[in-house]
Amino acid sequence: MNVWLKASGLCRHYRRGPQEVRAVDNFDLEMRRGEFLALVGSSGSGKSTLLNMLAGLDTPTAGTIEIEGTALSTMNRRELAAYRAHRVGMVFQAFNLIPHQTALRNVEMALFFNRTPVKDRRSRAIEILERLGLSGRIDHRPGDLSGGEQQRVAIARALVKKPDILFADEPTGNLDRENAAQIATLMSQLNREGLTVVVATHDLHMMQEHAHRIVRMDYGRFAGETVLPAGIGAGS
Amino acid sequence: MTFRDLVAGSTGNLWRMKLRSFLTISGVVIAIAAFVSMLSFGAGMQKNVTEQYNRLGLFSTMQVYPPDKSKPADSVGRPAILDREALRKLAAVPGVQLAYPFDAFSVTVTVGDTTLSSTAQSLPEAAIQTKFYSQTVAGTLFTGDSANQALVTEDLMTALHIKNPDSLVGQRIIVSAKLSSLDSGVAHVFRGMPDRLRERFQQIRRDSLEYVEYWSRLGRQEANAALSRFMDGFLNARSVVCDTLTISGVLEGRPHGRASIKPIVIPAGRAARFRAGGFSDDPTELLASLRSGTLFGSTDDARGKEYPHITLSLDPNVAYEPIRDSVKAMGFRTFSYAEEFKEIRKFFFYFKLGLSVVGLIALVTASLGIVNTMVMSIIERTREIGILKSLGAEERDIRVLFLAESGMIGSIGAAAGIVFGWLITRVAAVIARAFMEKEGIPRFELFDLPLWLILTAFLFGLLVSLVAGLYPAARAARVDPVEALRNE
Repeated sequence: MNVWLKASGLCRHYRRGPQEVRAVDNFDLEMRRGEFLALVGSSGSGKSTLLNMLAGLDTPTAGTIEIEGTALSTMNRRELAAYRAHRVGMVFQAFNLIPHQTALRNVEMALFFNRTPVKDRRSRAIEILERLGLSGRIDHRPGDLSGGEQQRVAIARALVKKPDILFADEPTGNLDRENAAQIATLMSQLNREGLTVVVATHDLHMMQEHAHRIVRMDYGRFAGETVLPAGIGAGS
Repeated sequence: MTFRDLVAGSTGNLWRMKLRSFLTISGVVIAIAAFVSMLSFGAGMQKNVTEQYNRLGLFSTMQVYPPDKSKPADSVGRPAILDREALRKLAAVPGVQLAYPFDAFSVTVTVGDTTLSSTAQSLPEAAIQTKFYSQTVAGTLFTGDSANQALVTEDLMTALHIKNPDSLVGQRIIVSAKLSSLDSGVAHVFRGMPDRLRERFQQIRRDSLEYVEYWSRLGRQEANAALSRFMDGFLNARSVVCDTLTISGVLEGRPHGRASIKPIVIPAGRAARFRAGGFSDDPTELLASLRSGTLFGSTDDARGKEYPHITLSLDPNVAYEPIRDSVKAMGFRTFSYAEEFKEIRKFFFYFKLGLSVVGLIALVTASLGIVNTMVMSIIERTREIGILKSLGAEERDIRVLFLAESGMIGSIGAAAGIVFGWLITRVAAVIARAFMEKEGIPRFELFDLPLWLILTAFLFGLLVSLVAGLYPAARAARVDPVEALRNE
C-alpha cells in the first residue's frame, strides 16, 4: 500500500524563557490510508504538538510533512486552511465545542468553510448526529450534554465534512471508563469503514483493542512502535 | 461562509452579550442622532432659503445698477446711465423676459382714520405678475396698469395696527404726494409783488439815482430776492397730487434688502400722475437732472430720468451668465440672485461641514466603545477563534466575522440613531414653532431630513464602525489556534 502521510525529521522547538523546549524532535512517521494509529506517551511527550503539526494547525521548525506527496510546508495559509477544512477532522480532549451553540449548529459549523452548499449543511449535520446516536440532542447546547455526548458531537463535527483523516487528541481523557470505551469503539468502527485515524492517548490499554499500530513517544522523540496482530498494519 | 451566516452569527453574538451590546450601540445611537439632528438643522435652513428663492423666482431675477462712480468711465468717457434708453436696451438683451425700473417716491397715505407717511413704488402690471411680487397674503393683484387699485404690504398693515390682512382688502386708500414744480416757484416770485414793490420804492434813495453803481446794486438785490423766493416756492410750496385707490390685495412683508418691496405698490400707469411734470424731491436725483441738463424736460423720457436700479426677469431656461456679461458690457453693474445663491450654497456647505464635524467627533468617541467591545469579545472568544481555525476557517473568514459584528453594531446604531435624531428634530421643531408664534415670527420649518442625509448618516455609522472593527478583526485573525486551544 502507498504511503499516504509521511513525516520526516519533524521538529518543533520553541523557547520558553532561557530554555529551549524540544516538543517534537527529529520524528519520522509513515501512514497508509485506512490505518488506525495510536500515538502513546506520557503527558508532555509531544503527542498533541505532533498532531497539531500533522493537522496543519502548527508549523514544524524543521522537517517535512507530506500528504499524498504534497508537503504542507509548500502550502500557504489559505491552502493550509483548505487542507483543514476539507481533509482533516480533529477531536480534542476538552471537546472544544462552542458553548452557546446547539449541537446541530456546532456540527454544521464545520461545513461553513469547505464550500458545502447551504441547503445540504443541515441535512448532513442531522444525518451524522443521528448516526452517532444524538438525534434527541440536536437542539441541546454542550452544557446540557454529558461528557460522552459532547465528545460524540465533537466527533460528528469532525466527520461531517467527510475527512480523509481523523486526528483525535486524548479523546477519552475527560470521560469515564464506559464513555471512553464507547468512543474508542466508535473510532474503530469508523476506521473499519475506511477512515484513517490517529489517536493520541496515554491509555495504551484502551487503544490496544482497536489500533493497528502503536507508536510510542518520549520527550518528543520516537520511542518505538508495536504492530498489533489484528488489522491492516499487521501484515506490513 | 455566506452573508446569512455572518448576519446570523453577528446578531447571535450581540444578543448573547445584551448589556454590553446595548451600551455600545447606545453610543453609536447618540452620536448618529447628534449628527442627524445637527445636519438636519443645516439642511432645513438651506431648504428654507432655496424654497424662498424658488418661490420668489429669484433664480431668474437680476438687478442692474449704475456703474460704480469711483471707477473710471468707459473708453468714450461717458458713464452709462440707467435711463429709459438703458431700460429699452436691457429689455432687448436675449434671455431677458421683462425689464422694469425701481421707481419709488414718498407719499402720505390715509386708510380709514389713520394717516401716515410712507413710500410707494410704481410697478408695471407685467412686473407684478412675476413670482418676485405676486406673493399675496390676501386679496388679488391689481388688474391693469391704469387700474384704480393699490397693493399694500404687511409692513403697512403693521404700521396701521391691523392684524387681519383680509380686512384691508377692498378698503379705500388715499395716496398723496407733494410735487415740486416750476409753477410753484414762479408763483412764489410774484406772490405779494405789489406790496414788495411799494416797499422797494419807499426804500429807494432818489438822490442816488444818478449813480449807475446804485442802479446796478438795486438790480442785484432784486434778482437775488427773486431767486430766493423762486427756490423757496419750488422746494417748500409744492403742489399736492392726490389719488384715491382701492386696496386690491396685501403682499407679504419682505425683510430689508434687495428683495424688499415698498409698503404701497401702485400700477405704473396710475402712478405716473405722482411723477408727471414734477421734479424729484430726492436731492441726488435732482442734482443728477441738473448735471445732465434735463431738469426742465416735461416727461421722464425727455428728462433722461435715472433709475437707482432696474430689475430683469430672465428666461428660467437660459443661463444667467451670458446675460450678466451682456449687461456688464453695457457698462452697468449687476446683481444676480443665482450668483448669490452659489455663495449661499458655499456657506451652507461649510456650515453643514462644521455641524457634521461635531457629529463625527461624537461618532469617533462611540467608535472607541466599539473597539473596546470588540477587543473584549476577542479575549472572551479566543477559544472559539481557535476552534473555527481548526475547522478550516481562514484568517480572512475570522476577520470578516468580526468586521460583520462591528458592522452590525454600526448598522443597528445608525438606524436607531437616525430615528432618534429625527425625534429630536421633531421635539425641537415643536418648541421652535411655539417660540416663533410667541415672538410673532413667521413660522417656518427649521429641520429637514432628506434621503441623502439618512443615507449619509447610515453609511457614516456603518463606515466608522467598520473602521473601528479593523483593529480587533485583524487581532482576531492573528490568533494562533494552537495557543487558543491550549489556553483553555
